[in-house]
Amino acid sequence: MQSAVHWALLGLVIERPSYGYELANRFEHAYAGMLQLSGFSYVYTALDTLQCRGMIEELPGTRTGRQPKPRYRATAEGINSYQERLITQMREDFRRSRLFARQLAVFAHEPEMALDVIERYGQACLEEAGETPVLTTAGTDAVAGLAERLVSEERRLAMGARLPWIDYARREFKALATGRM
Amino acid sequence: MSLLELERVSKYYGQLDERVALRDVSLQIGVGEMVVVWGMRRSGRSTLLRIAAGIEAPDTGVVRFEQRDLQAHPGATLGKGIGYCRKRFAASEGQLVIDQLVTGLVARGVPLSQATSRARAALERAAIASCATLTPAELGGSETVRAAIARALAFAPRLLLIDEPTIGVDLLERDAILLLLHSLAQEGIAILASTGESPGLSGARALTLSEGELHGRHAPELAEVVPLRPTG
Repeated sequence: MQSAVHWALLGLVIERPSYGYELANRFEHAYAGMLQLSGFSYVYTALDTLQCRGMIEELPGTRTGRQPKPRYRATAEGINSYQERLITQMREDFRRSRLFARQLAVFAHEPEMALDVIERYGQACLEEAGETPVLTTAGTDAVAGLAERLVSEERRLAMGARLPWIDYARREFKALATGRM
Repeated sequence: MSLLELERVSKYYGQLDERVALRDVSLQIGVGEMVVVWGMRRSGRSTLLRIAAGIEAPDTGVVRFEQRDLQAHPGATLGKGIGYCRKRFAASEGQLVIDQLVTGLVARGVPLSQATSRARAALERAAIASCATLTPAELGGSETVRAAIARALAFAPRLLLIDEPTIGVDLLERDAILLLLHSLAQEGIAILASTGESPGLSGARALTLSEGELHGRHAPELAEVVPLRPTG
């Protein structure tokens, strides 16, 4: 299963059982700025897929009334797959970082071009850093508060690694540019 | 209009000016804006703050505060518009935290009773009033930062400069310090901080300083001016 949206929806079902419309609302709130639904109806397609793969199941007794709202919960297989996916995703991020560094190195003979890329990458990082909110101590619900803190700290620590790397890369390419003069 | 403006500022150290601290740095800060400059050690970030405060003069370039050239009016703005947070407390300036604030104010001609009430208000604003009667040596990491901020606030600055506000501060206290700085900015006090840590950049206009060169958005982002009536 490749769709990031499917995995994110599975995660929300793991967090707590929900029905389709509720999931769509929770998705928009939880993944704002990270993932986007093509439409609310997409949630139902995704739920079908997850159910067919045995990752979620309907909660018994929730398909009742004139307008039934079947609620879904995660299966043990769904939880296992989700954990595996998280690790795979992180490995993919490591690979992407290495790839970026390797691809930048093609400019060894044209250091000014690399410096231009570094400048723009640095600007993007600074904007991301500036947009990272300072966490207030005001209490939110436990899960939302934890998610906010984890996301915020991850952004900050990632930035704490990227900025020195940008500094380092800039020095390397500047030295190359100076050597060419 | 900028509150603080650095125009093509350079600063060199060493007998032959061989060490570049700042190279052709331009920066504008607006009223109530929070700007944080990230840099590695020896990147020039502390020099940038000292020059912005008027403590040091640039070798080339101009620094203006409220459109006044700092070099033309040396010492005229530090303590009178610009607050520079020093985290060191000299024993000669008082035994207790509140004494440290009062001494600075009295030394600048503020009557003692007025100085005491201003010091108390500043300690209150920095949420450190409970430590007023402690000695600086008794303060923890975040308390020292808050006391330093309070000492600068006592002079009612319009620009606050602070070097490494979150260094040595407990992880859980870090955001509270940043929130304090943001709240001061919301009250209209511009903040220029330097940091070697990425957390300090949160919610601010962030720039980086590398080998004395400033990278990032040098001026505040101004809203596009839309004419009320189409011209022409």
